[in-house]
Formats: sequence, C-alpha cells, structure tokens
Amino acid sequence: MYAASTFPPYPALMRHGALSGLRHRSPVHGLDRRHLGPPEVLAQSVSSAAPAAAMAAAPAIAATTAGSGTIWSFVIATVVSLLIGSCIGRFTRRMAVAGSLYSLTAKGLGPAAAFTSGMALLVGYGVLVMGALVGSATYVDALLGRLGVEASGTVLVAAAIVLGALVTGGVLARVRLSARVVLAAEAVSIMLMIVVFVVLLGVTPQVPAAVTGGSGVGGIAAGVLPALSAFIGFEAATALGVEARRPFRTIPRVVQWTAGVAGVLYLFATFTQMTGFARTGLATVDEPVPALALALGQPWLALLLDLGIALSFAACALATLNALVRVVFSMARDGIAPAALGATHPRRQIPHVAIAVVVPVVVVVPVALLASGLPAAQVLADLLTLATVGYLVAYLLVCLAAPFFLRRIGELTPVPVVVTAVLVPVLLVVLVAFVVSAWGGVVPLAIGALIVVGLAWLLWLRRRRSAQLAAIGVYDETVTADVLGGHEGSPL
Amino acid sequence: MRSALAVLEEVVAAGPGVTAKEISAALKLPQATTYRLLNLLVGEEYLVRLPDLRGFALGRRAARLALPVVPTPPAAARAVVEHLRGQVRWGVHLASFRTGQVTLVDPDPDHPPSDDVVLARHPHASALGMLLLADQPDWRALARDLRPLTEHTVTDPGELDARLEVVSAQRVARQCGQVRADRGCIAVPVHDPATGALVAGLALCGPAARVAEPNTELVALLHEHADRLVPLLA
Repeated sequence: MYAASTFPPYPALMRHGALSGLRHRSPVHGLDRRHLGPPEVLAQSVSSAAPAAAMAAAPAIAATTAGSGTIWSFVIATVVSLLIGSCIGRFTRRMAVAGSLYSLTAKGLGPAAAFTSGMALLVGYGVLVMGALVGSATYVDALLGRLGVEASGTVLVAAAIVLGALVTGGVLARVRLSARVVLAAEAVSIMLMIVVFVVLLGVTPQVPAAVTGGSGVGGIAAGVLPALSAFIGFEAATALGVEARRPFRTIPRVVQWTAGVAGVLYLFATFTQMTGFARTGLATVDEPVPALALALGQPWLALLLDLGIALSFAACALATLNALVRVVFSMARDGIAPAALGATHPRRQIPHVAIAVVVPVVVVVPVALLASGLPAAQVLADLLTLATVGYLVAYLLVCLAAPFFLRRIGELTPVPVVVTAVLVPVLLVVLVAFVVSAWGGVVPLAIGALIVVGLAWLLWLRRRRSAQLAAIGVYDETVTADVLGGHEGSPL
Repeated sequence: MRSALAVLEEVVAAGPGVTAKEISAALKLPQATTYRLLNLLVGEEYLVRLPDLRGFALGRRAARLALPVVPTPPAAARAVVEHLRGQVRWGVHLASFRTGQVTLVDPDPDHPPSDDVVLARHPHASALGMLLLADQPDWRALARDLRPLTEHTVTDPGELDARLEVVSAQRVARQCGQVRADRGCIAVPVHDPATGALVAGLALCGPAARVAEPNTELVALLHEHADRLVPLLA
C-alpha cells in the first residue's frame, strides 16, 4: 500500500547497500505469518508448561528432599526460570523464529551448539508429548475408575489412542484454531485446580508449615531439581514467533509471564499441600492432593482434580507438538533435515509434512509402552525425566548464547553477561544432578543412545552438508515489504 | 518519549543500515537506553532490523507518522483523463490510493469535487472510497466510524458489507446522494497488473438522479479509460 515514491526518499538510501540484501519473501514463508494475538500465544507457553498437572504432583516430589523448605525450592526455581526467560527475551525481542531455542542458539554460538540444541529440543519436545499423552491417559483412566468403570490395561490404552487422535486433529487444524483449543483446555484445567486448592485450603486447619522439621540448605537445593522440572515448556511460545501478530513485543512478555504465573501457582499449591500435611509431612504421602480430598470427606474434589490434570496434560501434548513440528520444519528449511519436511500446506499454512512424520512417532510410542503392560506411573516418570534433560540442555545453551549474540550484533551490555555467568553454572549443576539422580534406570541408557545418534547425524552433516550446516539458524527476516522504501518506485 | 523520537529521527537521518552503537554515539544516549528504545520501536514496528540483525531501517508503520505526499500523475495519464472529460458532461476525477486513503490527484476544474478531507476521512460514503474499502482484507480497519453525511449515507455495517461485495464483483462503485444529497458518483478501479494492488480510481460525478440509472455506456467508457491508465500509473 505504501510505495517508496509517496515519501521523499530519505538520505543515504543506499548506505552500505543496506536494503539491497533484502529478500522478497521470508525464508520461513508458508506459515500463517503475523496472525496470532497475545492470548493465543500465551496459551501455547502456559499449556506446554502444564502448571495444572504439575501443581498436584511437583510439591510432593520436591518435599522428599526439601521438607518444610519446599516453598524456598519453588521460589528459587521461579527465579531461575525468570532469568532463563530473560536470556530468551534477548533474542526474541530482536528476531522472530519458528525453530524455538534451536534457531536462537544458532545466532549466538554457531552450528555445532545449535545442532546440539536442536537435538535436545527434538528429544525434550518429542518425549514431553509422549509423556503428556501417557499422563492424560492415566488420569482419564483414574477418572473413569472413580466413576465405576473397572480399571484395566485396555481402558488405559484406549484412552491413549483416543487422546492421540484428538491431539492429531488439533495440530492439523489452522494454528489459530489449534491455539484457541489449547487456550480453552488450559483455562478450564487451571480454574479446576484453583477451585480444588481453594476448597482444600478453606477446610484445612491453618497450621503454619514451619512447625515440621526443615532439611537445611542442601535439601532445599536438591528440591530445586523437581521444582524446575515443573517449569519446562514455558518457552514454547518462542516457536510461534513467525505466527504472532507483534512477535517482538508478545513473545518475550509471554515467556516471562508464563514463568511468573506458573511460579505463583506452584507456590500456592505448595503452601496448600504443606498446610494440609503439616503434622505428618508432605513427603510421606503418595498422592497428596487426592488423599487430602478424601481425608476431608470431599471425594468430588478428587474427580475435579483428575479431570483438571487430564485436560492439562492433553493441552500440554498439543501445545508441545505444535512447537516440535516447527523445530522439525526449521531444521528442514535450514537444509539439515530432508527438504520435504519444510513444506507447508497452502491453505492451512501449517508444516503438514513435518506433522505427518512426527505425529505417528509421538503417538505410537506411548501407546506401545502402555500396551506392553509396563506400570504407567513408571513410564510417565521416566518420560518426564528424559524430556527434562533435553530441555535443560537447550536452556543451558540458549543462556550461554545470549551474550555472544549481543556481542555479535554490537549491543552487549553488562547485565546479560552477569545473568549468564550466574545461570550457566546453576543449570550445569542441575543438569548433572538430574542425570545422576536417574542413574541405574533406563533414562541414562536412552540419553547415551540419543547422544550416539546425534553424533552420527552431526558427522554425516559435516561430510555431506557442510555448507548448510554452517549457515543454520533460519528465522523470519525482514523482507522488502516490511521496510518503508523497500518497494520499487512507481509514478503514483 | 523524547529520546524515542530522537532515535527514530536519527534512523531517518543516517539512512537504513545504521547500527545501535552508531545511534547511541550520535545521540550521546547511554547504550542500554538506546538498545531498549530500539527494541521498543522494533516491537511496535516503527523500525525493522535488517537481516544482519545489526542494522535498522524504517518500518512500514512509520509511514503513518508522515503526511503522505502524492506526486502529480504523469502528463500522459492526465491526457487520458482530459480525453474522458471531453466526451462526457459530468465531472471526471482521478484519485490515488497509494497512501491507503482517497487522495484526489487530478480533480475536474470545471466540476469541483467534494472536499479532500471529507473524501479521505469518510471512505464509506464516496464511490472512490468504496473502491478502496472493497480492496481491503477487512474494511473495518479503515472505516471505523460509519457517520451519516446525508440521509442516504449507508451506516449499517451489514449493508455496506453487501455493497462492497457487489463493488468487488462488478469492478464498479456507485453512490447516489451519500456525500452530498444532490450529487452522485460512479467509480472504477485501476489495478497494477503485476501485483494486483489497487493504485488509483477514476470517477464520474453528476446529478444523483442520473447516477442511479444503469448508465451502461458510461460505465463501459469509464472502464475503457481506466484500462488506458493501467500502463501509465501501475
């Protein structure tokens, strides 16, 4: 609509030939560019972090080491998440991406680190989708059990298949519709959880939590591990950078808000549960919130709880799947994954080929694991642990990349350096502690196998696709149409 | 606030490709402040980052800050309009849509049109304005206030929507007494054949009662002249 000639050309138009390097269309063209409003983008991040599901489970896990200091573990985890969010914001205020942290890391640390981040995100996002499907199926099964349906492995597997089909339908819809479904599901589940916890708090005798024995600084530090894993996924909105209406404003805010809101919800949930189990100690109970509900003679609360958690996990699966397919799409546009995966559907404007390849994997694996008769709780715990390791690697790399990115574009200031200097050692310790705590189980074996696969892929890329590998980091560049004066002139 | 405007001004003065450090040095602003203001202006899309992520340029939204200047059409285009004036007894006006508004670039000196400001601010009432609205993905963004200028002005969004559908389908817009009770206009669009963008509109204005008639030959004559304007304006 605005042509160059309608305005007096501004001086030094050809300075450094600055505008001559502009492309006519974005390298990530084909997605539904600049269309999603802030609530839809927020839903993506909040759902992927799945606070409703974590509210019920995370405080009790943290309490096994942190005891009465559990609150402090969550305060620390919230601060760490906000700082990670600030590192991500250094990038997202300046560039809009579809490849989430993978594309950001490429601009700060270069190809090998970006590839590692991409691999970590594929594992983190992929396994979290599987875990969320298992989690949702588990709670649907529990819900049906409370309603009188006889519990059996078949119900569980059937629930997982139905949920897998629903999530597939969600990811195949236009991104606006998909984001709205996620928004509705997550809003309902958080509302349910708040109702449950407010009722529990209201009917519980108000005993200050501090009366039970503490476990010292070491316990609180160890409690940060499960507390931090309750936050993973809060960065998921980053993958909607291309599709957000005002990405440079919306994405950084949404990521920070998600960390903040999740932190408040977890502190509230921790406070409620610690008050409820003030005498015995929260860590001694297996399923604290349902136990609390039953002990208070409110069995209907347990129903709401199961429904809320099942919904939250389902929304998490859909939101995380949206992010996962966009990472795969970006890798394909970068030329390090088969080019076909970078195709988009002309009408729906979604990466449909990436979806067609990714969805069968993330749906069939959890269904197969449940069908094999392994205990669902163990499968869920292992999947979530493996996913958390992937996320932590990606967080570590993006936080490390932030100051390098700022230096490269000549905008480095002291604060980002300090934040990174504090965060990187903390995240390294958390990552190592996480792997060590899972030692002896299947998770370290899976990590080892994934590292071997990743290395083989990287070596193959080095030999066959070295040019593409060196240039990775595709993002939604400014194109001629975005720049005032970028158009060709015309007489009127 | 003042610093933000200074940053904007510095990008205009220095030209596209200017970096954050250069702006900070030129304005003697602290670096952290400059970077924050630049990110704010990029977030609001007044500025864009160039693909190297270091350099800045004005974004399309900055166009809203300037008074759009529409150059006079080339002599060949004015000759086409003059030719049409010789064939009809009504007023013939040429308008540009390049600025996202109706801007008359060759009004008929013998039949003065309605005031420029009225045409620019109330596109829902005029025939030229309806051409512009019919070309928008969502016309409501351009016509927020459907104010009645006369008793005939269409002020119902549903009815306007239906009329704009007809305008798109028939490539002709018509209004009778919507801007001034006794006058009416018929307008046809001029599109850029390469991009499909609407660039200009050619209008015939006369007595309202006469405009309401089918006027098949007049519309054909308008389309014929609009077609001759395409290579001159697009």
